[in-house]
Amino acid sequence: MITRLVDRLLAPAPQKHPGVMGIFEFVDDATAAVRALRQVGHKDLSVYSPVPHHDLEHALEQGPSLVRWVTFGGAVLGLTGGFSLCIYSVTSYPLVVGGKELISLPPFVVIGYESMILLGALANLVGMLALTRLPQVKSKAPYDPRFSEDRIGIWVPCSGDAAARVEQMLRGQGAEEVKRHA
Amino acid sequence: MSDTKDENEITYEPVMAADAVGAGEHVPPTVTQKSLNRDILRMLQPPGWLWWTVFLADLAILATGMFALRNEIVYGIGVAGHTRPVMWASYVTNFVFWVGIAHCGTLVSAILFLFRSHFRRAVYRVAEAMTVFGVMTAGLFPIIHLGRPWFPYWLFPYPNQRQIWPNFRSPLEWDVFAVTTYLTVSSVFFLVGIIPDAAAQRDRGPNRFHRLLGHIFSFGWTGANHQWKHFYGAYLYFAAFATPLVLSVHSVVSWDFAMAQVPGWHSTIFAPYFVAGAIFSGVALVINLLIPIRKVFKLEHIVTPDHIEKLSKLVLLTSTIVTYSYLCEFFCAWYGPSSHERDMFVWRFFGHFWWAGWIMATCNSIIPLLLWFKRVRRNMVVLFVLCLFVNVGMWFERFVIIVGSLARTFDPAGWGINYRMSWTEAAILAGSFAWFFMYFLIFIRVLPAFSIAEIKETLPAPMRRKA
Repeated sequence: MITRLVDRLLAPAPQKHPGVMGIFEFVDDATAAVRALRQVGHKDLSVYSPVPHHDLEHALEQGPSLVRWVTFGGAVLGLTGGFSLCIYSVTSYPLVVGGKELISLPPFVVIGYESMILLGALANLVGMLALTRLPQVKSKAPYDPRFSEDRIGIWVPCSGDAAARVEQMLRGQGAEEVKRHA
Repeated sequence: MSDTKDENEITYEPVMAADAVGAGEHVPPTVTQKSLNRDILRMLQPPGWLWWTVFLADLAILATGMFALRNEIVYGIGVAGHTRPVMWASYVTNFVFWVGIAHCGTLVSAILFLFRSHFRRAVYRVAEAMTVFGVMTAGLFPIIHLGRPWFPYWLFPYPNQRQIWPNFRSPLEWDVFAVTTYLTVSSVFFLVGIIPDAAAQRDRGPNRFHRLLGHIFSFGWTGANHQWKHFYGAYLYFAAFATPLVLSVHSVVSWDFAMAQVPGWHSTIFAPYFVAGAIFSGVALVINLLIPIRKVFKLEHIVTPDHIEKLSKLVLLTSTIVTYSYLCEFFCAWYGPSSHERDMFVWRFFGHFWWAGWIMATCNSIIPLLLWFKRVRRNMVVLFVLCLFVNVGMWFERFVIIVGSLARTFDPAGWGINYRMSWTEAAILAGSFAWFFMYFLIFIRVLPAFSIAEIKETLPAPMRRKA
């Protein structure tokens, strides 16, 4: 029962979207294929690889990740929240200790600083998961276990005649395997 | 490329220009992307007799520690050897020791990441795991030390039934924020780093259990370009947050002491001194863990003597900083106006706990001088033993600071009463090591203990190099 459940979970998802998947061994072949596909208008392709490659990033014209803005928001919230917590606590129940100021900012810096790091890091995590669309139980595009080993995959969503042309292009650029999903 | 070269000939170019920044020197040419997956995932094969023997021995020690803890809970904190004025003793020593151990992981994973120090790639996962398990161990001791360990939530920032909040001006409350933040951030950093490697485990794990674990820890990672982009975008910020965090956590821990007036504690040097000491002991323990792992799992080609040597240079560097701090403390006591402070530092080496002071100086300042010799840095047996001494020395450093200082405070009436460690405390200390190693032994058998993706980045990527 449990083993069947695990097997179902680990099995690849049935493919719903039509497209063509090209599998490459060489980075420069894959980079050339990405450039060629983008030139003919296939801008929404996905590239799978075991490690990130600068060449592929340049070919895909990827900008910097937006995660930094989410992180920044979390850090600002943490910093202000940490100081606010300390100030609120001493003003809500004023208890003078050793004749010191109720709102003593220097010791509150530690709380503000740690809260900034905590919320900034958590926002960073949430931002990363949201932007990478994780967690996901099953991959929406076709996935091949070789992508976590030593192969690069290029997935081009397309159908009909366009799919035939993409298939031909991928083979022409040196794909060692091309699969068509109807 | 030469014109005469065959069009289909495979050439190799390092990914992300690793050679240009010196990464290539750590990459043995025999390692390929495929062999790396195979070698690291091989660690997940069913364990043999050696692992089971070590694991069961570990559980036996843990059970002894738990029995001692049960005694303390049933009979009260009096079963520990705490005696006025030494009311902070082995539990606080253990807390500082384990927090210190935990610092190395963040140094290796975050600080060296920001400095683009490529040798970290082969060793950082072990160091990060050590960080997480180290903080989990450290976090137990304030709770054990409470005497009523069922009330730790009193430390959390919320008002009690009379609407009084915890004192945010107290270093002990800072500690709560620092240590819980450190545990959270280092755990998140550790788990995020595992995502791409867990995907490799999901795809090629040795059995259903490991593939399922890979599936859970990979979060459904596919290695798509947009995932890599946001992953490294976020990873940079995790490192950027973890770096000031690691420096602040042990600074805050040091202020538990330095903010007090006790001779031997009240010093501005404490924050950098504690941070250097933490990295010193943490790196030594990483070496102690890596040497047997690379031997037992036959990973000498992945964690090479170069990696270990670089770590041992870090031990040497931090040893010199720690020694400088010892000398500075002595100089300040001798040159400063406080006779109590002067008396304290003479007493450290010639008083009741003289042996602890000399163990500290020998293990932390004298023995590490051997690391100036390259042959010592590359001899795994000698290095392993040397790092054990460093950790013994660092435990005694905390003992000297905490117990030594409290035993010699301002009131001479308290000087004759000296702390003696009870068997309960000794068993709980041994149990804490067992607790730490239990997690570590399980970890190396259930998840990739080395970063497959990051080591791959230093391998040459296959290029066809068309003319």
